[in-house]
Amino acid sequence: MIIRRAISAACLLVWAVSASAQTPPPKAAGGDAADGAYVWNAMQGEKLVALGARGDAARGEITFEICQGCHRTHALGRPDGSYPRLAGQHITVLIKQMTDVRAGRRRNDVMLPFIDKHVASPQDIADIAAYLTKLPSPPNNGRGPGSDLARGQKIYEADCVSCHGQGGQGDAAQFYPRLNGQHYKYMLHEMIQIRNGMRGNSNPRMVEVVKTLNDADLEAAADYLSRLPTGQP
Amino acid sequence: MRCAPGLGLLFALAVMAGAARADTAALVASQCMACHGDGGNSVVPMFPRLAGQQAQYVAKQLRDFLTGKRKNEVMAPSLAQFKDADVDGLAAYYAAQKRTPITPGNDKLLAAGKALYDDGNTQSGVPACVGCHQPEGLGNDRYPGLAGQHPGYAATQLQQFKSGARNNDRAKVMRAVAARMSDDEIAAVVEFLASLP
Repeated sequence: MIIRRAISAACLLVWAVSASAQTPPPKAAGGDAADGAYVWNAMQGEKLVALGARGDAARGEITFEICQGCHRTHALGRPDGSYPRLAGQHITVLIKQMTDVRAGRRRNDVMLPFIDKHVASPQDIADIAAYLTKLPSPPNNGRGPGSDLARGQKIYEADCVSCHGQGGQGDAAQFYPRLNGQHYKYMLHEMIQIRNGMRGNSNPRMVEVVKTLNDADLEAAADYLSRLPTGQP
Repeated sequence: MRCAPGLGLLFALAVMAGAARADTAALVASQCMACHGDGGNSVVPMFPRLAGQQAQYVAKQLRDFLTGKRKNEVMAPSLAQFKDADVDGLAAYYAAQKRTPITPGNDKLLAAGKALYDDGNTQSGVPACVGCHQPEGLGNDRYPGLAGQHPGYAATQLQQFKSGARNNDRAKVMRAVAARMSDDEIAAVVEFLASLP
């Protein structure tokens, strides 16, 4: 057990180090660090346009074709965590992430060529979000090792539940993502990115919370989350 | 008698449609067939097979050739022989043709090609081809079919997207994908495409 944890911690370290070596920190003002100029959930620019547009799910299904080479059909993502599940995510969260990637607030070079401003309009983004939010999220997401679930639950209930909810359902009105049904490795990777200041568009409160947690804490919390029932959107 | 004007119009339309079909057939025979083969089943690896190709794709490529967005010296003499009004007829003609199977050149690459087509490469960020080009490589209204294409032609196009020499893809998306593909991945996936019926 100890060896396994040591190995996985070492892997995490390598992952985090290699990620930071490949990717310079986000250029957006402030990034994860609290900065007067950056408001993580500001309602402005094309995010506001997309949020105000009437999304059409049927159109969104067609527009999403360009995304499903990575996010897969029905937007279930990949259990290896390389691409997140998008099915059943809140419209507000989807629109925030898509527009933040385009604006460079969330640094994601892999995704950018497929969601850049010459590829999709704010209306397209609203359509994609309208399509994705209605898709079911079945309980076949990637899960953690299951080795420290009591610790994960304790951390989740102490530090995470006030925003992400008892069932990991998040809060659409607050841009808090739904986490139940998400792949373990994706959640773990993103928490580490946020802790290292690499994600760029996080809620500063989230940054403060994950900074207090070590790798084993994050693994346990992500593992616990990956096992929550996926029924609650 | 009251029907006569209507019948006359119908007759005129039928004659015009027949004339358009005859024009298309004449164009195909005089300008296209020598390279693209009988019914679009080209037998020469450098010339793309067009039989059963999505009409929207063929029409876009022909218009891009006519306007210079896509360039090809071999096509130039034929392009001088037709105009925009001929494009839709040619596209419909090739979409309606039946594709004949071709013999893949290298069976050893099929498994790697299929893996890339179905799953992409999560390390380098190559999306799975199937996401846009559809199961069995059949394409749809928005993305070209790739099934049964000559490996040589498909590899040339991927290399040209990769280098930017071909740049008439929608929103630079295919260039972004090809730029992430290794030469080995290109060699493998084109063999898999050729093997699709």
